[in-house]
Amino acid sequence: MLARVANNLFWMGRYLERTEHIARYVNVNYFSSLDASNDVSQSRQFVLKSILFMADDIVCDDEKVLNENDVIYDIGLNPKKTYSIFSCFKSARDNASGSRDLLSTEVFESINSLHHYILNYSVEHFTNKGLDEFTTHITKEVAVLRGRIIDTLMHDEAYAFISLGMNLERASQIIRIINTKYIDAESSKSKLHEDFNTSPEWITLLKCTQSFDMMKRYYKKTPTSANTLEFLILNPLCTKSVLSSLNSAASNIKILTHKETLDSTSFLINKTRFEYKYTEVDEIEGRFAECIEEIIAKITDISTSIEEEFFSF
Amino acid sequence: MIDYTKLPIFSSYNLNANFYDEIFKDNNEVRKIYKSLFNMFNEYKVDDFELLNEKAKSSFLNQGITFQVYGEKDTKEKVFPFDLFPRIIAANEWKHIEQGALQRSKALNLFLEDLYHKQSIIKDGIVPMDLIASSKNFLQQMKGIVPPGKIYNHISGTDLIKHSDGKYYVLEDNIRCPSGVSYVISNRAALKRAIHGAFNDYPTYNVDNYAENLLMIMESVKPAGVDNPTCVVITPGVYNSAYYEHSYLAKAMGIELVEGRDLFVENDFVYMKTIYGPKKVDVIYRRIDDEFIDPLAFNPKSVLGVPGLFESYKKGNVCLVNAPGTGVADDKAIYTYMPQIIKYYLGEDAILNNVHTYHCSKPKDMDYILNNIAKLVIKPVDESGGYGISIGNKLTKAEIEEVKRVIKSDPRKYIAQPIMSLSTHATYIDDEEKFEPRHVDLRTFTLLGKDKEFVLKGGLTRVALKRGNLVVNSSQGGGSKDTWVLKK
Repeated sequence: MLARVANNLFWMGRYLERTEHIARYVNVNYFSSLDASNDVSQSRQFVLKSILFMADDIVCDDEKVLNENDVIYDIGLNPKKTYSIFSCFKSARDNASGSRDLLSTEVFESINSLHHYILNYSVEHFTNKGLDEFTTHITKEVAVLRGRIIDTLMHDEAYAFISLGMNLERASQIIRIINTKYIDAESSKSKLHEDFNTSPEWITLLKCTQSFDMMKRYYKKTPTSANTLEFLILNPLCTKSVLSSLNSAASNIKILTHKETLDSTSFLINKTRFEYKYTEVDEIEGRFAECIEEIIAKITDISTSIEEEFFSF
Repeated sequence: MIDYTKLPIFSSYNLNANFYDEIFKDNNEVRKIYKSLFNMFNEYKVDDFELLNEKAKSSFLNQGITFQVYGEKDTKEKVFPFDLFPRIIAANEWKHIEQGALQRSKALNLFLEDLYHKQSIIKDGIVPMDLIASSKNFLQQMKGIVPPGKIYNHISGTDLIKHSDGKYYVLEDNIRCPSGVSYVISNRAALKRAIHGAFNDYPTYNVDNYAENLLMIMESVKPAGVDNPTCVVITPGVYNSAYYEHSYLAKAMGIELVEGRDLFVENDFVYMKTIYGPKKVDVIYRRIDDEFIDPLAFNPKSVLGVPGLFESYKKGNVCLVNAPGTGVADDKAIYTYMPQIIKYYLGEDAILNNVHTYHCSKPKDMDYILNNIAKLVIKPVDESGGYGISIGNKLTKAEIEEVKRVIKSDPRKYIAQPIMSLSTHATYIDDEEKFEPRHVDLRTFTLLGKDKEFVLKGGLTRVALKRGNLVVNSSQGGGSKDTWVLKK
């Protein structure tokens, strides 16, 4: 496989995953905030700031007043914002076009029809009434696309690169979402003297990552900070967890290479996943901010290693 | 007998006696071959057709079967309009076309070999030397090179029309990078789904075997000493108007689609940059024009090509499909000599008719052209895509004077042909919500390899969607139809 095409496939996977996470995050946060149990979480400004922070690390002052329509437009359909759903999906499609001969007709058709859906979606309708319709459609279609990637592509190098991209991006997005909700939980706690451990933000967090039902089944109790973090970072059975994503990435890399020297990507992925396999939640909870930084840095290292080993011919 | 004029969907179908209509005879009767299909179409209401039309359009758009029109800034992606009424070619008629297309391709191949070696045809006075010497498509660099399998035009596209006399004429040969074959295949796929039962009474040849045959042709011209050749398709990239076709062909053949930046030359061998390191490439189906394939040998500003590729080709280490320098033979001025070229190399009469051509470079012809522009089509000899064509009877006085000035300033660049009466075919017109006659042509696809040949049993019927328009190229607003070649 061409190095350039492998690079395209990897980034196609990353952008697809990113698109879906942003769409889901916006949807869940916006709508769960409407009847949130406390005033802070219910505040429009609070949720808009949370959305911007998740998508692009934008930190807004407490005093700054955001315009709801502007934020929704920026996050959804603004072609000038690199973090918008529009831009993320456009990047996915550009990368897919550059590797089109390796994608199945079904996969390309899915990408292309979703691209036309986004391109033709009315901005006015989106900012006034269409937020749920648009983001739900995106989430659903990316899920269909994921199914088509699994079902209609040979599980060879092309599949491995797309999956690697998706898995690494998922780990990265999950961490971003956790970080955002962690900060949200802290700020709503400070304002309302609520118990941080049982903040409603943990439920929102789990819903944002489509993990709420799984979590309830696993723990059979209301989410707390500890069990939510444990579930989303360390639980190998939760398909959205960082550990699960790393485990999948390890299977992907096996398709590509059997090289396991100290400088190989395979070594790095396996080293990282075993580290989290034997980590307990107590080790994370006490030093959460530091842990987030560490996980992001490790995922970046893996991504860089993939680029060096496979793309930088 | 059905009186089609009473059917709402055909009520604005006005036959013009000057043109051969493929569906109706002069007495308004439906031709035998179309009767069954025509009856089926009659069962559809206008609304049904609109729906089918919309469905076909969105299926092309969603699948990304699109192209780019030069010069349009805003909408880059366009669906190549697809018409739901297929063109049918009877078995005996096809036999004639197929033999004729193959004969032309073989003659052109021998002509090219001769031009770049002994030039016997010039020495024997059949083709004038100055026609070759003045052609910008004659590549001096190709002189003396023997391409693997001695094949130059592996892929040929022959453009045919059916004149008012009901006979096929060749309008031009395309042996540089003929495009359009992917539409033949996607049109068929779309039609099969759109019109339920359409094929019931028509035993039609399948068109899906093109890619398989193309790969066999490519493998047959592998460089000496290579057992299992690595074949690739090279494209200028995603922004090229034919990118869909490039990616389709690579996918259908199961080979890599590369860009110039994916290849490099080392010690006169060509390699592609893969995830596991360099991999030698043996046969390249290039969809990049001669000028851009190698900045060291041709246009130094080219960023699409591969430095050193031509040297590798010269040394026989890689095969280029089609060979560089084929453009000299599909020049519209050379076209006039095709009957003589066929006779010279094959000892046969040309199976397919040529349209009479006047050369602006011949003083006698030039006189005739200048006095009869209104009756002629003026074409530049070396352009493709329908660019630069002037149709005499559509020009104003001022435009005629301008054409005269242009051809006088560069006589070698232009030829003229009588305005040919392209046949008409029933075409669904969105705005009218009815079928109307529109002019069509036909492009066939012929493959030549070492001891192998293949003509795709089907073709691209291109249709000029504007009423009265004779230029069918997609870049000029044309569409296309599925084309059925009947088995019997």
